[in-house]
Amino acid sequence: MAMILQGKDVTTPVRENADVCIIGSGCGGGAAAKVLAEAGRRVVVLEEGGYYTASDFDMTEETAYRNLYRERGGQATDDLAVTVLQGRCVGGSSTVNWTTSLRTPEFVLDRWEHVFDVKGLSLKELEPYFERIEKYLNIHLEPEEHHNPNNRIILTGAQKLGYRARAIGRNTRDCQEAGACGLGCPFDAKLSVNVTYIPDAVKAGAVVCADFKAENIEVIGNTKRVYGTVIDRATNARKTDFVVEAPVVILSAGAIHTPALLFRSGLANSSGEVGNHLTLHLTSAVLGMFEGVVYPAGGIPQSAMCDEFLNTNNDGGGFWIEAVPAYPVLASLALPGFGDSHKALMRGYKHIGASIVLVKEIDSEGSVGLNEYGRPVISYNIGEKDLDCMKRGLKTAARIHFAAGAKKVLTLHAEKNEFTSSGELDEGFARARWGRNELSLYSAHPLGTCRMAEHPLRSVVNSHCETHDIGGLFVIDGSVMPTSLGVNPQLTILAVAEKSAEWIAENFPRPQ
Amino acid sequence: MPGTFSRRKFLKDTAFGLIVLSAARFIPLDRAAAALKNLPDQLKFFSPMEFLIMENVAGRIVGTPAPGMASVEDVGVALRADAFLAGAEPEIQNQLHELLAVFNGALFAFLFEFQFSSFVNMSPEDQDAYLNGWMTSSLAFRRTAFQALKRLSLTLFYTDPRAWEEIRYDGMFLPWEREKKQ
Repeated sequence: MAMILQGKDVTTPVRENADVCIIGSGCGGGAAAKVLAEAGRRVVVLEEGGYYTASDFDMTEETAYRNLYRERGGQATDDLAVTVLQGRCVGGSSTVNWTTSLRTPEFVLDRWEHVFDVKGLSLKELEPYFERIEKYLNIHLEPEEHHNPNNRIILTGAQKLGYRARAIGRNTRDCQEAGACGLGCPFDAKLSVNVTYIPDAVKAGAVVCADFKAENIEVIGNTKRVYGTVIDRATNARKTDFVVEAPVVILSAGAIHTPALLFRSGLANSSGEVGNHLTLHLTSAVLGMFEGVVYPAGGIPQSAMCDEFLNTNNDGGGFWIEAVPAYPVLASLALPGFGDSHKALMRGYKHIGASIVLVKEIDSEGSVGLNEYGRPVISYNIGEKDLDCMKRGLKTAARIHFAAGAKKVLTLHAEKNEFTSSGELDEGFARARWGRNELSLYSAHPLGTCRMAEHPLRSVVNSHCETHDIGGLFVIDGSVMPTSLGVNPQLTILAVAEKSAEWIAENFPRPQ
Repeated sequence: MPGTFSRRKFLKDTAFGLIVLSAARFIPLDRAAAALKNLPDQLKFFSPMEFLIMENVAGRIVGTPAPGMASVEDVGVALRADAFLAGAEPEIQNQLHELLAVFNGALFAFLFEFQFSSFVNMSPEDQDAYLNGWMTSSLAFRRTAFQALKRLSLTLFYTDPRAWEEIRYDGMFLPWEREKKQ
């Protein structure tokens, strides 16, 4: 029976058989579920988070962080230096992202092909998938008059400085421009996975189980058993347990929790590469103080970008600048210092413009391990080149803000680092401290911890996302990306997921 | 298998942090007795002293409200922290208990900042100076600890609608209210 089963409906242990069991319901798991269910497979999707619909989204940070984010938005690296935002609900991070939908840059795909020997993921081969998904999710550019003041800072400032800036593709239909994309869309206008792929998968016969947390996987001959607990959403306590048995298991729990699940299960790590090569698309921001009202939480959160500075040196690195919806908590955490000086900055909330700088890493090193409780621990060391790139990006973003009319610009340093003109930037940046927890850093795009490559000693999965070690065990999510993308990863993950799921449908016929 | 890591290990890996953690348990908690009498009696996570520390920390981090505006006491930040941490993972809970003991300890206030009393017994000005010392410390684990306290305090304050009036945040742009806000 096609359905979405929730933990609240379950009172006794669950035993289920399927053709395909998918762990995670975000971009990777959701897209794979739709393709495989429509290909006639009996699909069971296990999602640790809850199932929420538009009426549950009240557009407050309180509700959103509690219900929709990992660790209530507090997931971070081991030293708390980088906050790592991920969704934890049906639809995964797509439920809470800011709708930016960009194709993978060609230089990234070229590198995957030539350095990692990845096959079948050239731009030409992915193009039909991008086109199909863009149509399915109504990915489009916003007309000029729909950019909010916060996005206009980028467009106006970059234009004055001669930098390339333009509208971003967004997966929405009938957007109400409420600004709530990051808190769950209460209008179902954002075409996230929870309102597109998942309902279509269910329509095709998939069973989606929310509040079902996969704990480990056992391989028995050609079959696999996924063991886990059904969670009481109110208390996060164990309610009962479940086992799902299937010949094909797909891990789509994201770049932090997929390697953790493989570690707990003792699987797919003959290369020793599980958990390695974590990239975060390292992010910080500048805050401009404007005379007029910006209201950084209102209107379309992210509709414009400055993409002038990606891969400019042909080193595969560079940075990217986008607007960020500074909801009150986000703004309060970003602003420097504490106490009365912090409060004074918060009183100017309506006049804050905020732009993020996202660095495509080339020499940082990150990994995911397990702690003594079996939960993932994120370690990350910023490389010198990437830190230099972040500094260049922040300076550029600050110049854009000044060109757009900012009276003051702040970086996210713990100690106030404030500028009143572009001319002060070089000296101020030289004086500032850049160590751990001296500059607020974020990530919403963790990737790469189950790297894809053809060589089994260098990677965890092959070009079809199947683990080198175990036939029928797949990883389909951001974990498989061989390198940082340099752009928001939603569209790349969807395309890779659809392509890999098609391969599974062709190569794992339904058991008779 | 990967090595085991934790934020606690991060503290312990710092030699100074190790000394601090082991000695923190022996610090007497003395002059806060009066304030402790008025604390809520149904705490789920904090001890009464920890509650008092959290309330003081949150008050200094969030800052003084303008007249008539909500304070951390009005919002109940420490109580909200108590409820929030009661549901946190055990490793987070252990780290918070240890952090608060270290942060408030008079010996450490002396060692770190040459202050002669525990945090809860300091004047507001001394508390600000003490917090600033943690925020700007050359020891990474102290900066990490400050960030943990800052995040907890600000998140639990600014998620409450009562905190929004002072910053003139009117909520999201509901289509039918857009003109009013723009």
